[in-house]
Amino acid sequence: MTAPGDGCWHCGEPLRGSPIHVRVADISRSVCCQGCGAAVEWIVQLGLGDYYRLRTVTAPRPRPHDAGLDAWRRPEIARHVVRDLPGGQSETMLLIEGVRCTGCVWLIERALLGVPGVIDAKVNAAARRARVVWRGGAATLPQLLEILSRAGYRARPLDSQALDDARRREARDALKRLLVAGFGAMQSMMFAAVLYLGAIEPLDESTRGLFRWLGFLIATPVVFYSAQPFFAGAARSLAARRLGMDVPVAIAIAAIYAASLVEALRGGGHVYFDSVSMFVFFLLAGRHLEMRARHRTGDLTDALARLAPPYALRRCPDGALERVGVHELAVGDRVHVNEGGLVPADGVLESSHCRVDQALLTGESAAVRRSRGERLIAGSVVEDGPAELRVDRIGKDTTLAGIAALVTRAQTERPRLARAGERAAARFVARVLALTAVTIAAWSLVDPSRAFTAALAVLVVSCPCAFALAVPSAITRALAVLARRGVLVVRPDAIETLAGATHVVFDKTGTLTEPVLAVAGIETGRGLTREAALELAATLARESRHPAARAIAVAASDRGMSAADNVRSETGRGIEGTLGDRHLRLGRADFALEGKAVSPRHDDAVVLADDSGELALFRLDERLRPGTRAAIDALRAQGLTVLIASGDSARRVEAVAAQLGVREWRAAQLPADKLAWLAALQAAGACVIAIGDGVNDAPVLAGADVAVALAGGAELTQATSDIVLTGERLEVLAPAREIARETLATLRQNHRWALVYNLAAMPLAALGLVHPWLAAAGMSASSIAVVLNSLRIGRRREHELTAEPGAAVTPRSARAT
Amino acid sequence: MNALVIMIPLSLALVAGAVWAFFWAVDNDQFEDLETPGLLPLDDTNSDEPGA
Repeated sequence: MTAPGDGCWHCGEPLRGSPIHVRVADISRSVCCQGCGAAVEWIVQLGLGDYYRLRTVTAPRPRPHDAGLDAWRRPEIARHVVRDLPGGQSETMLLIEGVRCTGCVWLIERALLGVPGVIDAKVNAAARRARVVWRGGAATLPQLLEILSRAGYRARPLDSQALDDARRREARDALKRLLVAGFGAMQSMMFAAVLYLGAIEPLDESTRGLFRWLGFLIATPVVFYSAQPFFAGAARSLAARRLGMDVPVAIAIAAIYAASLVEALRGGGHVYFDSVSMFVFFLLAGRHLEMRARHRTGDLTDALARLAPPYALRRCPDGALERVGVHELAVGDRVHVNEGGLVPADGVLESSHCRVDQALLTGESAAVRRSRGERLIAGSVVEDGPAELRVDRIGKDTTLAGIAALVTRAQTERPRLARAGERAAARFVARVLALTAVTIAAWSLVDPSRAFTAALAVLVVSCPCAFALAVPSAITRALAVLARRGVLVVRPDAIETLAGATHVVFDKTGTLTEPVLAVAGIETGRGLTREAALELAATLARESRHPAARAIAVAASDRGMSAADNVRSETGRGIEGTLGDRHLRLGRADFALEGKAVSPRHDDAVVLADDSGELALFRLDERLRPGTRAAIDALRAQGLTVLIASGDSARRVEAVAAQLGVREWRAAQLPADKLAWLAALQAAGACVIAIGDGVNDAPVLAGADVAVALAGGAELTQATSDIVLTGERLEVLAPAREIARETLATLRQNHRWALVYNLAAMPLAALGLVHPWLAAAGMSASSIAVVLNSLRIGRRREHELTAEPGAAVTPRSARAT
Repeated sequence: MNALVIMIPLSLALVAGAVWAFFWAVDNDQFEDLETPGLLPLDDTNSDEPGA
């Protein structure tokens, strides 16, 4: 199960031509390319051959060109990502692409620890980060990156602020507060139990007094330390003249604590130090769960936002390109950006035109066209390029610096459901306070001596905690269950939309089919050799990130590189440029042979042409992803309409659609066409899930109700999506939707339960019929019931779809119940 | 009653000790990553049976 039977031993790609052989543990294995062979040898040589047994998913294929590692050798660049620790040690945080399973974590840690001088390496699989500590001088940053890249992982150092950002402090503070509240709740309950038992077996007054003060001793740090965020929040919202959730909660905590203190001083009646501790504990638990869910997704968005390019291609006065760190750029420099690349600094476009996607910055999804003289902003993506620009703002002055603020806002912005839940809880607490006032007033008329006790009982027995926990506990559980299955929900709002979706639109290339195409055949004309044709095509193809272009670039990877000029690409159609005095066009036949006769022979091939006509024709091979059919059947069984929108030729789309039993499909779609189709569906009342992987899917994903991206896809696509399929398995979609529906159902149950409990308990408390121990027990029980109910999410189906991403076949039972 | 003289300080000391221990754990990265260690029940010395 560690390697597909007939594919490459390392990356699982099908073998073509005569495979290369490597020896692993004295058994000869076949690999598909030199890159994989080198990776295998490297891993075995490090003594890490066990990786192949531990892994559950095949390895990422090593990428042929991974230039730029040397840029990190320069101290002025490394300074920004490496933090010096006392004792001459250095520390850095790496963002690692391609972490797929346990085996990866194991391999990365071992490989890094194998570098002389590395003291500590810890990989966080969920956040795709590794923290590395090494002895300065003994190892260098490029060395670490080199090790990872040889094993097939692309790593990028993150800004050293990532090492100790505010988020980490927030998480630690919250955990400490929660712990204090938890221990306080337990301990004060223990002391209170003595008083409760005293109701059965009378204690003498001095002992009762002692235990009341012990309760006070424990509850005081809980109220003044753990509950501090509620008081701070209340103060903030009062200062802003709003009535948030924190205000009534803070009043309730303060009232219970103060009233209990008064009772303790008076030496009579009931004290509720245990209840107030528990109250704080449950409320904090809800907040904590929600914060963890937020940070978890924050890790991803944060990492994306920090993907500001670390280096830039600077055009020297003699016309050559030089790779420099972004921090070295000066105003007035000319920089070159490849297609799909990130603009390193704000500047003015000097090449004729390009299309840029500024979604990361503006949230505006559609790519905009920029012509010579117009401004490009750092962090935007050149969708068809390349582009040349003159830098006019660098570093902190760039609009990109504003990204940090945007990301922070995205992280602090809470899911819609959570906000609704919190508002419900706030309204509820406000009503409880009103009821408490009414209780005091009513008892003052009937029996003033009992007014205080009854009012306190109302405050204690009411349980906003159940409301406060209802949403975070359900969402956290759902996120955890989904993440375990390879579905990373980036925006928790997507759970709600996913449950209500009616249509699924799939992209074909790279989504339904394997992302890596391979050149299966080359037909040449006009006396060109196959090698020469491939080299010419690769010159253009290297400038693009389209899968077809990549296939050609990879096929030509070991051949000499010449660079084309005036390269311009048209998304979804092709790319053109000049090489020497020759104008070359590479792409779909109608693009490459514009204005000339196109025969059916050209249909699904990539054509290379110059001004006098066709030069060569490349046939590319694509395969369906394993499990695609089952995935689509399962979605259809749930009543969803499955559609395919592809930029590919009708013949190929039809073939795939027929194989998958999809009746509705559209071929030869440009991104704008796909978006228009999506809009038409939405106008007809559909709620659409869009699934894609490529750069050209980004606008479609942004327009969909739920955008699902595959983890192997373009960073830009992931940045605009709501859900990332980390395991790249489509068959998790249908169960994911089931879980989303279950989550919403659980939420409703939770709310209903909280409502029923409170409606039943509060009148009794107001009438003075609830004893303090009963109030405390009732409050805890209702909170625990909510949490337990949330934990049921995903339980039912746990066994149906194993969490093992290596399983290729989904059981047919993964359909709607 | 004498039992209380011992038990109450003992319980308070235990709570203080537990809070101290957890604060130490939080400050020493023990709660930084709760998932990856769970993925690695792997033993270097006994790699015949991968735990995956």
